[in-house]
Amino acid sequence: MGAEKLAGELQQILLKRIASDQLVVPTIPAVQQRVQEVLREGDSGLRRAADVFQQDPFLSARALRASPSKAVAGKKLALSEALNGLGPKGIRAILVDSTSAKMHVSRDAEIAAAIEKTWEHAVAVGTLARDVLALSGQPDSEAAYLAGLMHDVGKVVVASILLEAERQTTELYNRSWIAARDWIEVVQLSHRPIGLALAEKWHIGGEVLACMQADLDYDNTDRTSLVNAVCFANAPAKKVGVYVGPVDADDVDAIVMIGRSLIGVNDDILRTLLKSLKDRVEGLFD
Amino acid sequence: MPFVLTVDDSRAVRTIVSKQVRDLGFEVAEAEDGVQGLARLGENQFDLVILDVTMPNMDGPTMLAKMRDAGNATPVIMLTSESKRSVVAGAMKSGITDYILKPFKPEELRCKILSVLQGGAGGGDEDVVMASSPGGAPAAGIAAAPTATASPREGGAKQFVDVFLVDDMENVHKRLRSMLPQHLSMNAFASAQSALSAARDRVYRVVIVDTEIPDVSSAVLAQQLKVLQPHAAFVALALRTATDQSKDLKDQGFADVLYKPFTQDHVDDFLVQYFDNQESLTSEDNVLRVAPFVGKPERLERYFGRLSQLFPNVLNKVASACYESVVVDVGAAPPQGERLAKLMITVAGQARDMGMELSVIGTGETQKLLAGFEETKAIRFFSSVQEARSAGI
Repeated sequence: MGAEKLAGELQQILLKRIASDQLVVPTIPAVQQRVQEVLREGDSGLRRAADVFQQDPFLSARALRASPSKAVAGKKLALSEALNGLGPKGIRAILVDSTSAKMHVSRDAEIAAAIEKTWEHAVAVGTLARDVLALSGQPDSEAAYLAGLMHDVGKVVVASILLEAERQTTELYNRSWIAARDWIEVVQLSHRPIGLALAEKWHIGGEVLACMQADLDYDNTDRTSLVNAVCFANAPAKKVGVYVGPVDADDVDAIVMIGRSLIGVNDDILRTLLKSLKDRVEGLFD
Repeated sequence: MPFVLTVDDSRAVRTIVSKQVRDLGFEVAEAEDGVQGLARLGENQFDLVILDVTMPNMDGPTMLAKMRDAGNATPVIMLTSESKRSVVAGAMKSGITDYILKPFKPEELRCKILSVLQGGAGGGDEDVVMASSPGGAPAAGIAAAPTATASPREGGAKQFVDVFLVDDMENVHKRLRSMLPQHLSMNAFASAQSALSAARDRVYRVVIVDTEIPDVSSAVLAQQLKVLQPHAAFVALALRTATDQSKDLKDQGFADVLYKPFTQDHVDDFLVQYFDNQESLTSEDNVLRVAPFVGKPERLERYFGRLSQLFPNVLNKVASACYESVVVDVGAAPPQGERLAKLMITVAGQARDMGMELSVIGTGETQKLLAGFEETKAIRFFSSVQEARSAGI
């Protein structure tokens, strides 16, 4: 089956699951291990729970869905506020639930690496969006982290179902699985509507939803909006190689050049952030 | 003198740009569309073109393309209200050097003009598009500065301050300030945002970050502050708990931990590590001078303990400079008890091991004290540095 056809079929399956509230997304092993550590530590471990949520777009999405705290006009929601709204009981419930299914690890090393890189990209965009706003003297930097982390949440969902399909195909039916290149293309082709459908179904609206749109572009009516921070952060993350998929170098350069002026990013600060970006996320999900 | 061409259909924009260029001491010419712009380029040799995108008759991208087709490689800064990626990407293919979004701040324009005309400060080795000098002045304002006392020392372009404290409780600011010696300057901030704003303006020696600021991750804040203060030492200010947090905090990038509630002793220990080395024991050539003891008598032990820690390194520096003798002025040290004599016995041994002869400067009381110990009675004694120098030391 070609990548386009597979992407189309996956999209239909996932959209149905989202609509009927039957979407189950297993947790990536590295995150699941951290979740278990936090749960083992009891109440004191829950203080570190925010760190675990901050590493997983889907866990964060679940926190947003469950939290009574919502973004209000003039105030953008940060993950810490969503978790505060949940309280220890709510946080624990999500964490316990997330341990029920562990994500399959691909036998294809390239696919396994692409999975890790997808998570790293999410954290990199969140980190850079947050730091760029914070270091440019803007408020809402924590909300920018959440928006950056979740901007490609559809990829997490598609990747998880592809891994499940791989497990069934190779282990139950003993058949070969698609090549890594096709795998990446399927994710690229199908993730956007999935992420948007999930956000709508789970009432994750506002600027976080806006950051999930295809071909995200700058909005110069609000220079320090979350959309602008995420649009900007996405480009250097791609440029330094924390990304899975094709990269249009000219487009990336244009985004960085515009963003420096639009957001007001000091060049020295940007250099420092970029120098450390790869180190900060690489190996986070080994 | 550099010559700059501004091409924009808005007279107001041309006026602002021209003023900024003249204020920088450069010459400027104006054109109101691409056709006029190309004509000006044909008449004069320019060092920089500041080019709008949307203009009547001929727009900026068309003018740029025609310039390049004609072999004109003059640097171009695009100054526009256009923020579409596709438009800017297209202009980049024609070789724009930089980009400024309207409305702009004059400092951003000046920075970018200087960066192009003066070659920029040069920067990183990253392959990411950016001007070569600090260019992006923030489009929005930065919150105003510190909330607490400061006695910064001027040092070059930025002011130097010794201690930077971030803690949401003002009582912590007051308490730490009261425990620091007067000569150390301190700025304190109650929120992450005010701290980040202030960290852009001054250079700090030690940054202390509370680990329990509401809704703020101290690790993230410390990482962000490190970008602005790359040379500062980072110390976590943590509440003492049953479990040892020092490893976790060090993993988060803190060099050290100061526990709350801190006492004068804790602060003194912290000072020894980051500030006091030069204050307690100073050196000039081969003369070492012990600082006076200030404080309550029960702190004497700590005073001498600190000196014993400092002597080996300072002696080492004197020996490295090939001096055959070292003179220690202990005139300001309290001679009561045996602590001073014991310190001098140790120091004499260390100096001897390094191949140097030790002489001491002090009061009559000090001389009497040292004469009472077998190990120190033979040490040469002087009442002043001049006397030691006269004796050829």
